[in-house]
Amino acid sequence: MYATADMLLTSPQAHAAEQSQETAIEVVLVRAVLEGDRDGFARLYDLYAPLVHGILLARVPRAEVDDLVQDIFLHAFKKLHTLRDAAAFGPWIAMIARNRAVDFHRRTRETVEINDEVRGSNTQDSRAAEILELIRNLPEAYRETLVLRLVEGMTGPEIAVRTGLTAASVRVNLHRGMKLLREQLGFMEGL
Amino acid sequence: MNDDYLWDKTGPPDPQIQQLEEILGALSYQPKPLVIPKDVAAPGRRRYFPLLAIAASVLLAIVAAGVWFRVRSRSEAPQRQVQVQPQEQPVQPAPVTIPSREPNPRQIIVATNNRHRKTSAASALREREEALMAKEQVMLALRLASEKLSLLHRRTQSPTPANQIKNQHRTG
Repeated sequence: MYATADMLLTSPQAHAAEQSQETAIEVVLVRAVLEGDRDGFARLYDLYAPLVHGILLARVPRAEVDDLVQDIFLHAFKKLHTLRDAAAFGPWIAMIARNRAVDFHRRTRETVEINDEVRGSNTQDSRAAEILELIRNLPEAYRETLVLRLVEGMTGPEIAVRTGLTAASVRVNLHRGMKLLREQLGFMEGL
Repeated sequence: MNDDYLWDKTGPPDPQIQQLEEILGALSYQPKPLVIPKDVAAPGRRRYFPLLAIAASVLLAIVAAGVWFRVRSRSEAPQRQVQVQPQEQPVQPAPVTIPSREPNPRQIIVATNNRHRKTSAASALREREEALMAKEQVMLALRLASEKLSLLHRRTQSPTPANQIKNQHRTG
């Protein structure tokens, strides 16, 4: 089942208002950082760290994600002057994160992630790791959106605003990805 | 299926999605402070002034060099022409003036001008020297040949003395 047009057009004014508010904050913060305000970048980090974390979590082993998040923000801090449109900070840093994930797989050998059962942690974590692995096996377009929604707790409009994707694309990706995930989870008991 | 809850967490909650949120929430981002080393400089806006200054300096130097070369070549060109033109006359005087034909002065002028345009001053000097050397060699050869001819002519015209060999034999 796909999202219908009337579903996609739910409260467009609210989405537009939210988007303009977000971009206004971004623009102010980016300009402040370019004027030498380091605290402004800390605010940007607080706003966008969950996005970068989710994008990485959908692509690289969990143990590497935190270090990569720091690396990506440090890189963004150094290269912020190359950002032409301050309002596009979210899509820009999302693209950096995706590229860094690709670089990670190119540079490191294929590793097998030790899951939490082997490490002896609790059942909740091991189940989370299993489901995350199922999401990672979904098509790329769905996995990032699903992780941002289900792991990072972002709503569809937030995902659209911060990644620069259209609301319609995010909604379709969420819907189709969730359908595939339900099929994958069908054989898992306890869900 | 109503997917409003999946989209923006509104509407009736889907229990399966809620359960997934609860389980996967354990993997969510845990806030950590961003560590930026102090030696990392704060990003500034691009300063275009130094780049523009360098570009302007290079451009100015190129223009100045171009003007200097042009002025230099103009000042040298007339001197070379003055030096070359009078010396070229002995090298190629003859072919132009053929008495039987009345040469079209226009053609001659055009031909002469083309030659001047194509040959540079240095090559003209070299050609002139080579032509002079060739001329001297030809003249020397002609002189030698004429000397030999005149010598032969004298020998054939004047009879040799009869006792010359005899006398030579005697003396030798």
